[in-house]
Amino acid sequence: MTDRTGYLACQSLRYAISLFIIVTLVFLIPRMMPGDPFISLLGEEVYYRSPELVEGLKAQYGLDRPIAEQYLSYLNNLAKGNLGYSFHYSQPVWEVIAYKMKWTFVLLIPSVILGAIFGIVMGAAAGWWRGSGRDTGITSLFLFIYSLPHYWLAMLSVLIFAFCLELFPLSGITGGGLAGLAKLRDVLWHMALPVSVLTLFGAAYNFFIMRSSVVQISGEGFVLTARAKGLRERDVLFKHVLRNAMLPLVTVIALDFGFMVSGALLVEIVFSWGGMGTLIYDAVFARDYPLLHGSFLVIAACVLAANFLADLLYAVLDPRIRGGVQA
Amino acid sequence: MNEFARNLSWPVLFGLLLLSLFMILAALAPLIAPYDPWEPGRPFLPPSGTHPFGTNDIGQDIFSELVFGARISLFVGFFASFVSVAIGTLIGLFSGYLRGAADEVLMGATDIVLIIPALPLMIILAAHTSPSIWNIVIVIGALWWTSTARVVRSRVLQLREMPFVEAARGLGAGDCYIVFKHILPNTLQVIMAKFILAVAGAMLTEASLSFLGLGDSMQKSWGMMLSYAFSRGGFINGYWWWYLPPGICISLAVLGFVLIGFGLEELNQDETAVNPL
Amino acid sequence: MHLIEVLDLKKYYSTGFINRQYTKAIDGASFCIERGETLGLLGESGCGKTTLGRLLLRLIEPTSGKISFDGTDITRLSRKGMRSLRPRMQMIFQDPESSLDPRMRIRESIAEPFKLGLRGKMSRSEMDENIMGLIETVGLNPEHLNRYPYQLSGGQNQRVALARILAINPEFIVADEPTASLDVSVQAQILHLMMDLKREFGLTMLFISHDMEVVRHMSDRIAFMEKGRVVLEG
Repeated sequence: MTDRTGYLACQSLRYAISLFIIVTLVFLIPRMMPGDPFISLLGEEVYYRSPELVEGLKAQYGLDRPIAEQYLSYLNNLAKGNLGYSFHYSQPVWEVIAYKMKWTFVLLIPSVILGAIFGIVMGAAAGWWRGSGRDTGITSLFLFIYSLPHYWLAMLSVLIFAFCLELFPLSGITGGGLAGLAKLRDVLWHMALPVSVLTLFGAAYNFFIMRSSVVQISGEGFVLTARAKGLRERDVLFKHVLRNAMLPLVTVIALDFGFMVSGALLVEIVFSWGGMGTLIYDAVFARDYPLLHGSFLVIAACVLAANFLADLLYAVLDPRIRGGVQA
Repeated sequence: MNEFARNLSWPVLFGLLLLSLFMILAALAPLIAPYDPWEPGRPFLPPSGTHPFGTNDIGQDIFSELVFGARISLFVGFFASFVSVAIGTLIGLFSGYLRGAADEVLMGATDIVLIIPALPLMIILAAHTSPSIWNIVIVIGALWWTSTARVVRSRVLQLREMPFVEAARGLGAGDCYIVFKHILPNTLQVIMAKFILAVAGAMLTEASLSFLGLGDSMQKSWGMMLSYAFSRGGFINGYWWWYLPPGICISLAVLGFVLIGFGLEELNQDETAVNPL
Repeated sequence: MHLIEVLDLKKYYSTGFINRQYTKAIDGASFCIERGETLGLLGESGCGKTTLGRLLLRLIEPTSGKISFDGTDITRLSRKGMRSLRPRMQMIFQDPESSLDPRMRIRESIAEPFKLGLRGKMSRSEMDENIMGLIETVGLNPEHLNRYPYQLSGGQNQRVALARILAINPEFIVADEPTASLDVSVQAQILHLMMDLKREFGLTMLFISHDMEVVRHMSDRIAFMEKGRVVLEG
C-alpha cells in the first residue's frame, strides 16, 4: 500500500508542477512580449480604442510594482476565481467561459465515449487479426481517417450531409424558440454531425493505441501458454488478451480528454457551435488576450484534472503498480 | 536500408508514391502552376477551363495556390519535425546513456511537457508572437519532442548494455564518442520512423493553427488556404472548389507520410506503442 | 611480480530504495595471475564469473577490494589514469556478433583502435597495412573487410574481434566464454587460433568458461568460482 501511495504522491507532484508551470507561463508570456505589456494584458481592441480606460487601469494592474508582487497578486486573483475582464464581451472572463464551456462538454462527452468504444473495438479486432487482409483493411481505413484534418472533415460532412442531402442542420446549437423536449431533440439533431466527426477523430487515436497494445500482449508468453493449454481462440481473446489490454480502458477515456479538447475546438468553429472553440476563434481575431489566457487556464486545468483522474484510476486498477513505475 | 527495401508492402509503396508526387509538385511549382498565385483577378469563379479549381475571394487561381502551397506546407512540416526530433533525440540520448540523476530529471521534464495540452498552449504562444513561418516551426518543434525522446531513450537503454559498447569503453573511448559514434547510428532507424510521423503531425498542426488565424498570412500554405476559404465566405456560400482541394492535399500528403512512417515502425517492431502520435 | 593481483574483491548489487536487498555477486575473491600464463575460471552459470572478468578490466566498479595490474592499483585510478592503462587489457565477448557495432563495416571496426590513436599517429597507408596484417593473422580474407557483422558467421566475427584486440596490442586478455555461442566444429578452430596468438604475442589470459574440457585444454592453472569466491587448483 505504501508503494501505491508513493506512486500517487509522485504523480501528484508532477501535476502540481505542470499546473504551476502553466500558471506561471500565462503570467510571464504577456509581460515578455516586446512593446507595451498592456496590449498583451488587456487585448488589442481596448488598448487602441480606449486609451483613457487603459490609463485608469494601469494603477489597478500595478505594472510599476516589482514582479514578485505582481505574481503574488496574480496568484491571489486566480485562487479567488478572478480570471480578468474581457472588454470584448464586457464581462468578467470567468462568466463568459462558464457559459460557453458547458456546450463544449455537451459535444465532448459523447464523442469521447463513443470514440473510445469504437476505436478500442476496432483496434482490438485489427490487433487480433494482425497481418491478415482484414487488419490491413481496417488499419488502412483508420490511417486514412487520421490523415484528414478533422475540421476539414467537419466541413466535408456539412457539405455532404447538410448542404447536399439536407439531412442535418448547417450550424449552431439549436434553431431557437424551442423549449423542453422539442428543444432537446433539436439540440440532438444539431449535435449529430459534430459528434460524429469528433467520434471518428477520437476513434482513430484510440485505434492505434489499442491495436499495438493487443499486438504486444498477444506476443507475450502467457498467451502462448493459454494456447498450448488448448483453449479455444475465442477464450484466449476474451479471457486473457483483452482483459489485460483493456486494463487502461477507463484511463484511456480520461486521457482522450486532452486530445479531444483540441479537436473539439476546431470542429466547433466549423459548426458555429457556441462553445469554447468559437469563443477562442473570436478572441484570437480580436486579440482579446484576457479571454485567451483565461480559456487556456481553464482548458489546461480540465485536461490536467482528467489526466490525474486517469492516473488515480490506473493506480487503483492495476495490481502491479509499485513505486517508481512509469505509466 | 536493405531490410526496408526487402519489406516494402503496398501501403508503404503507395505512401512513397504520394510523397514523390507532392515533392515534385513543390519542386517544379513555377513550371506546373498556370498562374502566379498572388495575382488578383475575378473573385469567386467556379472551376472552368481557364481556372481548373476556380478562384478565391481576391480572384487568385486556386490551382496555382495549391501547387505553390505544397512548398510551404512541406517546408513547415519538415522543419518543425526536424526541430522536434532533434530535441527529442538529444534528450533521449543523454537521458538513456547517462541514467541516474540526469535521466530522472529529463524524463520528469518530458512527463510534465507531455501533460500540458499542446494545441491550447500553441494558441497562446502564436497569438502573442507575430505570425511567421519560423515562429510556427519553433512552437511546434518545442512541444512535440516528447514522443521521440521516449522512444530514443528506450533504444539507448537497450544498446548501452550491448558488448560492442563495452568494447568501446574498453578502448578507453569517452562518453561523447560512444554516444555519437556508436549509439546514435544504431538509433537512426527508430529516429527516422518518428521523424516521418512527426512531419505528418506537424503538417496537421500547422493547418490547425492556420485555421485559427494564427498562421503566416504572408505565405500560402494549404492550411492558410483552408482558413481563408472558411473565414472569407467560401464555406458559407458553398464554394466547395475552394475548400475541398487544400483539404484533400493536406490529407493525401499526411497520408503519404503516415503510411511510410507506420510501415517503418512496424518494421522496427517497437516495444513502445506503434502509434503515429 | 604477478601481472594481476586481486585482493578481497567484493561486488554487491543492491535493489530497492527503502528495503535494501543485496545480491553478493563477488564476495571476497583473492587470486593472482602470472605474466604469460592462462588462468582458467570455471563455474556454473550466474555464479559471477562474467562479473569478475569485467571487474578486472574495470568495466564495472567494485564495491570494495583491490585489483592491481602490473603493480598499479586500478581500483584507485582516475578516469584519465585508467585510460592510459586500458589498451593493455582487453576482453573477448561471448556473442561475437553483438561485440561489433552492427552499423560499422569490419574494416572500420578493426581500424577503430588506430583511429582513436591507441597506437600513436598513423598514416592511412600504415593503417591499411596493419589491418591487412591482422586479417591474415586471424585467418580472414580481404573481402571480409567490406562486410557487415551480420553477413559473417559467428566464427568469422570472433576472428574479427580477435583482430581488433590484437590491433591494440594488449598484454592481458579476459576471454569471457569466447566459444560458447559457436558451433562445435568452429570452436576448435577459434581455440586453436587463440592458443597460437597467445604464444606468438606472449599474452596473459583469464579464460572464463563453464565447459570443463575447454578450460582444461586452454589453461595452465584452473580456478573455480563458487558463492562469489575463488578457489584455486594447481
